[in-house]
Amino acid sequence: MGLTGRKSEKGPVCWRRRVKSEYMRLRQLKRFRRADEVKSMFSSNRQKILERTDILNQEWKLRRIQPVHIMTPCTVDSGFSEFSRQVIPLKTLNAVASVPVMYSWSPLQQNFMVEDETVLHNIPYMGDEILDQDGTFIEELIKNYDGKVHGDRECGFINDEIFVELVNALNQYSDNEEDDEEEDQHDCKFEKMDLCDGKDDAEDSHKDHALIQLKYIKGILHPKMKIFSLFNYPHVVPNPYKELTEQQLPGALPPECTPNIDGPNAKSVQREQSLHSFHTLFCRRCFKYDCFLHPFHATPNTYKRKNIENLVDGKPCGIYCYMEYPAGVIAERAKTPSKRTVSRRRGRLPNSNSRPSTPTVNTETKDTDSDREGGANSRCQTPVKLKLSSEPPENVDWSGAEASLFRVLIGTYYDNFCAIARLIGTKTCRQVYEFRVKESSIIARAPAVDENTPQRKKKRKHRLWATHCRKIQLKKGLYGSSNHVYNYQPCDHPRQPCDSSCPCVTAQNFCEKFCQCSSECQNRFPGCRCKAQCNTKQCPCYLAVRECDPDLCLTCGAADHWDSKNVSCKNCSIQRGAKKHLLLAPSDVAGWGIFIKEPVQKNEFISEYCGEIISQDEADRRGKVYDKYMCSFLFNLNNDFVVDATRKGNKIRFANHSVNPNCYAKVMMVNGDHRIGIFAKRAIQTGEELFFDYRYSQADALKYVGIEREMEIP
Amino acid sequence: MCSTSGCSSENISDGNSVMNCKANGAVYPSSGVSSIKKPKMEQLQADHELFLQAFEKPTQIYRFLRTRNLIAPILLHRTLNFMSHRNSRTNLCFICDFSLTSHLQLTFTGFFHKNDKPCQNSENDQNSVSLEVLLVKVCHKKRKDVSCPIKQVPTGKKQVPLNPNFSQTKSGAFPSLLVSSNEFEPSNSHMVKSYSLLFRVSHTGKRDPNGFINCETDENIDVKEELPSRKKRNSSHRGDGEIPETFVAQMTVFDKNRRLQLLDGEYEVSMQQIEDCPVSKKRATWETILDGKRLPPFETFSQGPTLQFTLRWTGDSSDPSMAPVAKPLSTRSSDTSTTESRPSTLRTVNIVSTSMQTRREQSPCEPRQKLRIFYQFLYNNNTRQQTEARDDLHCPWCTLNCRKLYSLLKHLKLSHSRFIFNYVPHPKGARIDVSINECYDGSYVGNPQDIHSQPGFAFSRNGPVKRTAVTHILVCRPKRFKPSLSEFLESEDGEPEQQRTYVSGHNRLYFHSDSCMPLRPQEMEVDSEDERDPEWLREKTTTQIEEFTDVNEGEKEVMKLWNLHVMKNGFISDNQMTQASMLFVENCGPYIIRRNLCRNFLLHLVNLHDFNLVTTATIDRAMVRMKEIEESLPELEEGQDSSDATCNGHAVSSGVSLHGKRTKSGVSD
Repeated sequence: MGLTGRKSEKGPVCWRRRVKSEYMRLRQLKRFRRADEVKSMFSSNRQKILERTDILNQEWKLRRIQPVHIMTPCTVDSGFSEFSRQVIPLKTLNAVASVPVMYSWSPLQQNFMVEDETVLHNIPYMGDEILDQDGTFIEELIKNYDGKVHGDRECGFINDEIFVELVNALNQYSDNEEDDEEEDQHDCKFEKMDLCDGKDDAEDSHKDHALIQLKYIKGILHPKMKIFSLFNYPHVVPNPYKELTEQQLPGALPPECTPNIDGPNAKSVQREQSLHSFHTLFCRRCFKYDCFLHPFHATPNTYKRKNIENLVDGKPCGIYCYMEYPAGVIAERAKTPSKRTVSRRRGRLPNSNSRPSTPTVNTETKDTDSDREGGANSRCQTPVKLKLSSEPPENVDWSGAEASLFRVLIGTYYDNFCAIARLIGTKTCRQVYEFRVKESSIIARAPAVDENTPQRKKKRKHRLWATHCRKIQLKKGLYGSSNHVYNYQPCDHPRQPCDSSCPCVTAQNFCEKFCQCSSECQNRFPGCRCKAQCNTKQCPCYLAVRECDPDLCLTCGAADHWDSKNVSCKNCSIQRGAKKHLLLAPSDVAGWGIFIKEPVQKNEFISEYCGEIISQDEADRRGKVYDKYMCSFLFNLNNDFVVDATRKGNKIRFANHSVNPNCYAKVMMVNGDHRIGIFAKRAIQTGEELFFDYRYSQADALKYVGIEREMEIP
Repeated sequence: MCSTSGCSSENISDGNSVMNCKANGAVYPSSGVSSIKKPKMEQLQADHELFLQAFEKPTQIYRFLRTRNLIAPILLHRTLNFMSHRNSRTNLCFICDFSLTSHLQLTFTGFFHKNDKPCQNSENDQNSVSLEVLLVKVCHKKRKDVSCPIKQVPTGKKQVPLNPNFSQTKSGAFPSLLVSSNEFEPSNSHMVKSYSLLFRVSHTGKRDPNGFINCETDENIDVKEELPSRKKRNSSHRGDGEIPETFVAQMTVFDKNRRLQLLDGEYEVSMQQIEDCPVSKKRATWETILDGKRLPPFETFSQGPTLQFTLRWTGDSSDPSMAPVAKPLSTRSSDTSTTESRPSTLRTVNIVSTSMQTRREQSPCEPRQKLRIFYQFLYNNNTRQQTEARDDLHCPWCTLNCRKLYSLLKHLKLSHSRFIFNYVPHPKGARIDVSINECYDGSYVGNPQDIHSQPGFAFSRNGPVKRTAVTHILVCRPKRFKPSLSEFLESEDGEPEQQRTYVSGHNRLYFHSDSCMPLRPQEMEVDSEDERDPEWLREKTTTQIEEFTDVNEGEKEVMKLWNLHVMKNGFISDNQMTQASMLFVENCGPYIIRRNLCRNFLLHLVNLHDFNLVTTATIDRAMVRMKEIEESLPELEEGQDSSDATCNGHAVSSGVSLHGKRTKSGVSD
């Protein structure tokens, strides 16, 4: 390499070649690695199959087998005399009826939301004759995806990973290079390269290059980086090398990532930062982090506490509790916090010295010193260094993790320092208290008193709401465009009541417990107070095509017996997954069918129709292919979404269509989500095949409800 | 394997063809059709041909089934309710008492081996084989014995003619042996459990270098087998020149229960070559054979090495009455041709039976009435043939002696449903109208799982195999009407009896939804959907969280644990969260402590609190429980700290940060 590198003229060419060859080498390496991965996957798969076969073989050995009477031998004559004639009994294998075609799918017990696909992942093949008949089909299909087909171009001729590797590989050259190759020389090379490489619209890209160059020069460690930012593809700008490699270094994290609070590098950060990941990823509806169903998670900031918990224990936690200070001080402290914080919040004044504390604290600690020494053992689990704590607060060493934890907890426990100390574990409440004093500038707000309005009497409220919701439903049923049911999205409009501007109201949905509005909101569904099974229209939930909400309906049993399947409320089957055992077999009608194992009563819940939740647009695109296949698992969920059980689903997807079905489908609102329940239309016997009418969509369901309600009006 | 001589080949040919019956002259046109003009004759002939064809197939099938039922009975007729009169144990077994004084006399007719050409010259040494007869006594096992002690008592050696020609040999010239009755007395040292005769024939002869090979055991041989429990293998020959060969055969005289197994009669025993290395029947291999012939089951008796002898129990004072008397089982009666056949009481037999129907055994309890049964065969609603049986209540298809008309009719109706039988009372006895059941559905009506749980469908590991019979015990107590012949009368409305379906509902084979493999019966109860969190979903949630670039390892770890916990338990409501948190501590607490994630866990709890899902009391309780778990954990915690702490360090996830594509901020957008 040194040969060409010397001369600056040949430099760029050399570099180009070098880069190219390195790039090719890396790519090949990657290919090999990939092939190896495939091989190892294959062999591990194979291993699994062999294990399974072994089990079968074992089973076979135990069986009493009668060999079949073999009548005719099969003879093989050899043309050469030295080979004798070979004979083996001829065995005829019975024909085995083939099973219908099944494309692989993943089992799912709950819906799974997927994003729209912007590229066509595969061009479906369904036999030559279909393509011959309709030659334009594929073209139209591709057009649907704006001509983007997966794998069309080796997407990202370079990606971050390979980029880093490449630069690393090139680095070794630079180590060998002589010093005379200065940065400016490189620069000059790059510019030349630009010119060489700008095959396509050289002039336009040139400008871009210049810009990019400017941008990158600042942040790049090594000049060679620029090669890459400029190389060939101006529009694929790789992330700066520096950024990428720094992440690899131990302990280095992207700036937006909070250091691990349990790790050695824990930093003292604010409460919001400590909890940021948890707050943003937690799905309040699924109780999971980064759930599969709800792409948008509300942060808890605006949630209001339902009831103010008893924050401060009246009693001190031990003899060394901070409360064991002379009465005057305690009293002052115990009383003041809420007022103080309120005032601070309102005034936004980090007024540090509402605390008269520090000097007094010191004196007090001295007073109690001797006692502390003696009672050390009786103190709880906390391995506290008591000597430290007895000293003036300035000397107490607070690690980053402890400080962060303190700030987190102070936002939850406010002035319950004993509890905070207990949870931190390594500090006494007194130390906590002292730290609190020090930190007073950034202390979390106390619960707002004004929200603590006296509650109305429940019963009356309930009745009011019941009539109210009835009204709402009526309105929907009679005047509303009943065919349209919109997806529920928790509303979030602070300090505004849920009126006509509220998205829930406009979508004609009730507000749910997930909404940010107050629990007194007029648009909330009150739940039922049934004591029966909630399977008649007497139950407001059933009437509203909702399942009982275990947080609202507290009397019907929807909130009890979590472990058993015997729930008195029959209107919570989907959420509890109380499905029936289904069995798969070739259908009596077409393809596969699904059969029920045990008999069911009329209107009993059978299974939820699960699948991928896709947008209506996506469903249109997918549907075009499915229609061609004459096999569709699409099911309209509401105005915004469709359930597609093609790729992911559960066994009920095999239920066939019938005009005289034994099941019906009903889209229900289940704790804020629309879900499709399949119910028995009549009593079904053991082993019967299940059918439902595919056309029975949510629109019809609502219409049905609407009509029923019409009847009720006097 | 032994068999009473001569009966074997007939047995097989029995069911072979119905065409014999025409040659037999047993078939005659019924009177109505007999006087017809000549031009119609040909058409009639053709019609008759059709009639015969229609009846041929079912008859063949029932003949075959009869034979099979003799070989390997699937049911015992005597257990059937309407055959209860057959269930008399009087002649089933004969307990030999040991005071018997008879001697066992064996007279050997010859050793037959087809591969050796019979030779006229009996003086030639090659034309006789030496036979050694041993009495094998299997004694009761004593406590110290590993296996039953066996005593072999030689009873004598004889030269037996090889392939003798009966026309030339005088009957008196046969070698004979006498086994004294003393041998059957209980011996002093051991109680003898069973006695058997071991024949050993040694033979030096020029041999065809190519034997024939029989890859397969023939269970059918067991038919003639007096001891069905013993495994037998057909003899097979390997060519090996001049080397003396030894053939052996064993026959039980008295079995374990001291039942006499050998009665007077002529026997032909199939011998087995000793050096025969058994070819694994399970694995067929390519073998070089020349004549390429296989032996049908009873071919052994015409081909293979057999030893013929006459067995006689002779009394001490030559008193024949002392010989033990036992009758063979009644079902075998038709097969035995050992005894001279009495002139048959039947004038003509049924349409198919070609063998001589020797009804030797007539139960004395059967009332001797001259009952006539006319089988009238109908085809196209015309009587085509009438066959009369006098005083014979055997089923024409399976030669089962039903003994009563009611039983016969019931048997016909239930066992031969390819035909329709209608009973018509007749002054001389009974008329049975037989016609083809057009509605017969021979398809399998049992549980399909039985088929698939059986080996025998296409993919047996080692070639095709038969399905083994499946036995289900069905308990059914139907209303029993008093047996009356009227139930066989042709019903006016033509309504067939209501069929009872035993397998309700699941009369199909189910498949696994993931693999399309047939569902085995023992898997019926397992619902693949009982799992709320399929494996791929668990993996998905883990990788999805792992993908985040701006979430630290501790957070990721706790989030993953929590997600899996929620997925596994399927929490659905806010008010379950307290319980969920406590359960989480119980299940994952030790792991969290070991991986040093306690503070992250606390953050998680605070997060739940921020979302208003748990109270501070729950946080307190959870953390207190955590402390307790931590204290109860053994000290290994210290040692593991170093290794496990890596999860909090960055070594583990260094690669991940590169792969990660997502950021939480991107999610919350």
